[in-house]
Amino acid sequence: MIKKNVKGTLAGLTTAALIMPTLAMAESGGERDWDIDVSLILEGFYFNEVSSGNQTPAGFSDHDHGHDHGHDHDHSLSDGFNLGHSELVIESRLGDLLDGTLLIGFDEDHIEVEEAYLVTRALPAGFQLKGGKFLSDVGYMNSRHPHDWDFADRPLVNRFLFGDHGLQETGLQASWVAPTRTFTRFGVEVLQGDNGSFNRFMAAGGGHGNGHDHDHGGGHDHGHDHGNGHDHGHDHGGGHDHGHDHGGGHDHGHDHGSGHDHDHDHDHGHGHGGAPYSQQSAPRLFTAFVKTGPDLGPDHALQLGASTGYNRQVSRVEDHGHHAHALEGDAWFAGLDLAYRYDAGRAYGQGDWRVTSEYFHVWRNLDEHVEHGSWEKRESHRERQDGMYLEAVYGVAPRWQAGLRTEALGLTNKVVDFHPTEVESLSTSYRHSAQVTFRPVEPVFLRAQLSQNDFAAAGGERDRGLELMFQVNVALGAHGAHRF
Amino acid sequence: MRFMRNRGVGALALALLLSLPLPALAALNIVATTASLGMLANEVGGEQVSVTVLAAPDRDAHYLDARPSFMAALRRADMLLEVGAGLEEGWLPAAQRGAANPAVNSGRETHFVGASILPLRRSITMDGPNVGHVHAEGNPHFNVDPMRMASLGEALARRLARLDPAHAEAYHARAGALAETLREQTRQLAEGVAEQRIVVYHEDLDYLEEWLPVEVVGYLEPAPGIPPSARHLGELVGKLQGTEGRVLYASFQPAKGAEFLQRQLGWPATSVALEPQTPTLEGYLALMRDWVDALDAR
Ligand SMILES: [Zn+2]
Repeated sequence: MIKKNVKGTLAGLTTAALIMPTLAMAESGGERDWDIDVSLILEGFYFNEVSSGNQTPAGFSDHDHGHDHGHDHDHSLSDGFNLGHSELVIESRLGDLLDGTLLIGFDEDHIEVEEAYLVTRALPAGFQLKGGKFLSDVGYMNSRHPHDWDFADRPLVNRFLFGDHGLQETGLQASWVAPTRTFTRFGVEVLQGDNGSFNRFMAAGGGHGNGHDHDHGGGHDHGHDHGNGHDHGHDHGGGHDHGHDHGGGHDHGHDHGSGHDHDHDHDHGHGHGGAPYSQQSAPRLFTAFVKTGPDLGPDHALQLGASTGYNRQVSRVEDHGHHAHALEGDAWFAGLDLAYRYDAGRAYGQGDWRVTSEYFHVWRNLDEHVEHGSWEKRESHRERQDGMYLEAVYGVAPRWQAGLRTEALGLTNKVVDFHPTEVESLSTSYRHSAQVTFRPVEPVFLRAQLSQNDFAAAGGERDRGLELMFQVNVALGAHGAHRF
Repeated sequence: MRFMRNRGVGALALALLLSLPLPALAALNIVATTASLGMLANEVGGEQVSVTVLAAPDRDAHYLDARPSFMAALRRADMLLEVGAGLEEGWLPAAQRGAANPAVNSGRETHFVGASILPLRRSITMDGPNVGHVHAEGNPHFNVDPMRMASLGEALARRLARLDPAHAEAYHARAGALAETLREQTRQLAEGVAEQRIVVYHEDLDYLEEWLPVEVVGYLEPAPGIPPSARHLGELVGKLQGTEGRVLYASFQPAKGAEFLQRQLGWPATSVALEPQTPTLEGYLALMRDWVDALDAR
């Protein structure tokens, strides 16, 4: 009787295996054939702005003419309790042909497919292809999710050069791991270029320059609107006076739609018609990177990276009421990154070190167009900006870590200003952070972080702000392995 | 900047030249996650294989980084030996993916997973509520049982024989000899050990119960992967008060809990290695003697 049942079940399984040969052929050792790993990462914040300074570093906001308007934070946290950036991650394998990953990010009022991609697992000779929407592998931090970070927030250089979600794009990546004793991986990416803004530039294809953050700097009280699909076309109302007051609140009115509406003109309130340049077709963003890591034995590990990228078209339009300025051109970036780990060989991370640093530099070759009734091309300008951070985290006790991070943004900070139109050299902004993290069990961490913002304003004056954050992060379910 | 970039490219090219692989050897390039598995690969594979071990023997294989050198080793591997049952889950999948080498993909014949071949000891994690601690698929520390290692060596020989039929006989012969040595050594060592009770730190040395006359009466960790708490240690002391025994823990595990028991119960606490210093039979036999030396002799 029992035997029969077992046989029946086996017959059923065999049939299933025949119907889905790819799924069933994979394992020989009696393991699962069809793996789907689901994990849920939940994050909560308690945020307190102890004292308020300049909200946006000079040269890195999209309306950056000397004034800071207000009390809003330029990130999405508000005073008190916040549901942070939570994620639902689904990972699966198609035999040993492909890995698929779907990552849905959500917070209190928006939900977004952050990553949805396939990676090949069967190509020979160290080649790998990745396609879909994913975080670019340029630099170190860009491709890592908040759960993997050693600090509660994204480094300034990544956020202000690549956007609030980093360089997160739809496209294709090809990479090759060399058959060398020293790990070496080369990669190139062809990306749509919708989000590759390189700071305060709208990517040519639509969407807002800085990805999803429409909230740089003060004034607007709408918190953050993430434009998930519908055409929001906000007026930000009176928040954006440029110092030149042309009366009555100019609408920057960037079109924030990132989903369905791909027909964005840069919709600047007063209807300065059209754009003064033709739009380059996508894909517009191309990157290349190399990562290498020597074998330094069981105690030390090091990875060095270099990356570069080219965006065929970036643009920014400033509406000054009765006239408008547009800057349009292409942009390059290049960066270096370093990740060093020391493994003390003690339990629960005691005595371990993690040191990470990145530097990025961006160049933009821009033509100025001015509109008084019709667009007229003027001079060409070259903007240059950069930024870096250095962070170190030490395992002070079993399950306890403490870390320091220092950041500079705009060490080179040459950006175009109008009236007169010229390349200005703005001051550097800094941020210094300290954190303490406790991991009671592996999938949970509690973190306290104190950050001092020392941001320059466009006029050169500086103003310091102090922020205190408490972060709780819990990974539920099959939480995958961490990359180096 | 242009100059700097050029120089970077030059340095990179030089680094590549220096690290180009040696002329291809005919040997099967095997990567083993632990030194115990490396021992099996060396002993069974003989001169037909060349073996790289990822985890240093004095490290906890549960918690490692998917470091670049691991990916480089896996990139050039013809075969991967894994303990499995979640032991390497925190780092190996990332290293496998980063290696871009289909030969080490899970599911391939060239990916050999010990835990899916051997019967494992049950773990308390499997019965209790899982709050994210390890051993949910059973206790993966079977390398502490030489009898299981002997069986696994034979299984490895069968796998190698399928992959490299030309040397099938040699693999089987070497695995047979290895198994015989391990079983003989096990018998001899077990004879010299007195019956005794032990407390171990993690669910790892409890595999000693499988071949020595010892009884595991407690763990310093309340659950695998959860550090000892004062309350749990207090309960252990309460339970074991007035009895005799020994405390064993691995060299990378903190000594504090074991020392507490030593003070409270008078049980001698000893730290031992969990993996052989060298991935060879000699290394493994020395490890077996170390375990036995940490116990009361008959
Ligand atoms: Zn374990």
